[in-house]
Amino acid sequence: MSKARRDSDSAGSASTPPADIVRVNFEFRRELARKVEGNLAGFCYQCGACVGDCPSATYGGGFNPREIMLKVLYGLGEELLTEDSILWQCTNCYNCHERCPQDVKPVEVIISLKNMLSDLGIYPDNVDKVIKAFEETGRTTPVNPAVQRQRERFGLPPLPPVPVDEIRQLIEPDNAEPRAGARADADKGGTE
Amino acid sequence: MNRFAFFPGCLIPARHPAMEFAIRHTLPKLGIEIVDLEGASCCPDPIYFKSKDKLSWLSVAARNLTLAEDLGLDIFTNCSGCTATLSETYHLLEDETLRAQVNERLSKIGRTYQATSRVRHIATLVRDVAGYDAVRESVVRPLEGLKVAIHYGCHLLKPSRIMQVDDPNNPTVMENLVTALGATPVRHRNWYLCCGKACQTEQVPDDMMHDLLGTVNEEEADILCMICPTCFGQFDHGQMKVSRKFDEDFHTPPIYYFQLLAFAQGVPYDKLGFERQRFKPECLRRFETAPQPAGDPAHTGAQGKNSA
Ligand code: SF4
Ligand code: SF4
Repeated sequence: MSKARRDSDSAGSASTPPADIVRVNFEFRRELARKVEGNLAGFCYQCGACVGDCPSATYGGGFNPREIMLKVLYGLGEELLTEDSILWQCTNCYNCHERCPQDVKPVEVIISLKNMLSDLGIYPDNVDKVIKAFEETGRTTPVNPAVQRQRERFGLPPLPPVPVDEIRQLIEPDNAEPRAGARADADKGGTE
Repeated sequence: MNRFAFFPGCLIPARHPAMEFAIRHTLPKLGIEIVDLEGASCCPDPIYFKSKDKLSWLSVAARNLTLAEDLGLDIFTNCSGCTATLSETYHLLEDETLRAQVNERLSKIGRTYQATSRVRHIATLVRDVAGYDAVRESVVRPLEGLKVAIHYGCHLLKPSRIMQVDDPNNPTVMENLVTALGATPVRHRNWYLCCGKACQTEQVPDDMMHDLLGTVNEEEADILCMICPTCFGQFDHGQMKVSRKFDEDFHTPPIYYFQLLAFAQGVPYDKLGFERQRFKPECLRRFETAPQPAGDPAHTGAQGKNSA
């Protein structure tokens, strides 16, 4: 940002940049890039091919995968990582993944952003419920005596318990995860 | 016999045992031997747990794949969500860095992922291993005149580069599977829409479902056929909700393909658990009493006695 520009902006104080200039938050982008396939938005050239077949863009108000990628490029984490984040409107249909000419996989970027929401502990209750069920039982659909009786009716054997101790060892948070995944070059040089 | 490790997932064994029964009944008739996997967990699901932590999600999925690797078998899934998780894991773990990270976690439980078991969705297993002709030959009750709308759902086809199942813009596998039963597949205008389950708002899936059921209705389809238990729930329970909300009666019974196949292979309607559905495919009952074509001794015999 040039000095002349700042001086000419009568509305902004010396410490607040003018509203029409976006400061890219690279800290947020680096954090996102640490997630598996979280760095792919760097390849987005904003063509909008991901929008046409996006059901949440078609049926929802205000959801747009291209705009989400733009916010990621600008590092506008605070707009995406909120209590009632718009990210939860994604249907995981993979149409954007199918359409994107740049292999951005917008849906995967969105899921990586949700991983960041999880780090912040802000999660919709129903999502949290399913995750807890999985972590406690190794299954997302509860197994109870009524289920076992239903199975018996169809001549199916009872469902055995899942070795949850093994699952727990795999999902224990490991704080020192190195940067993950393919195309790790995408966000290099992002410190300017 | 072709042997495959069966990855049943959570939803079908615990909520829709009739679907599991149908799978176990129909596959052997197509020359496919089912080998059960011991110690399998949730795939884990590609919507909720994947949203928490992708690396943990990959690690648990890789553990499930190693169970099939132990048996030296390819693995098949009966749910498109499980297919998405396991296929994507197979694909992502071609990356050496990521595979090393996952294997480091797996080493805690004495396992190593080796990428030796391929993942197949049950629909493609039938197409590629058994073949449509085997399906046709296994049918004792051709479903002639039955109009079957098809819901592909998302993860059988997409992302196509990973799934490598069919042309995502013009798929044929479901149409061919339905045709092999003697029924008539119907492609409605909104065939490419998803079921909306993963969306955590009400309005988007409701409006989408409303549009989708509207076009299925326009085609006057008798039933809506699918190959995913999550989609099934959306079209059964969800259809009830949408019908109330919009005050419209679409009355489109959903049906999981393998229950339809089991019925066409001669399993009585009353043994297929349809009574638990909110929208019951009663239209199938006419095939239980319809005259059977010549060449099927069991049925022509019974029919002969009745009409004599
Ligand atoms: S299709 Fe890909 S490159 Fe184009 S706007 Fe969407 S994410 Fe960006
Ligand atoms: S996966 Fe999400 S963002 Fe991508 S097209 Fe589907 S609803 Fe839109």
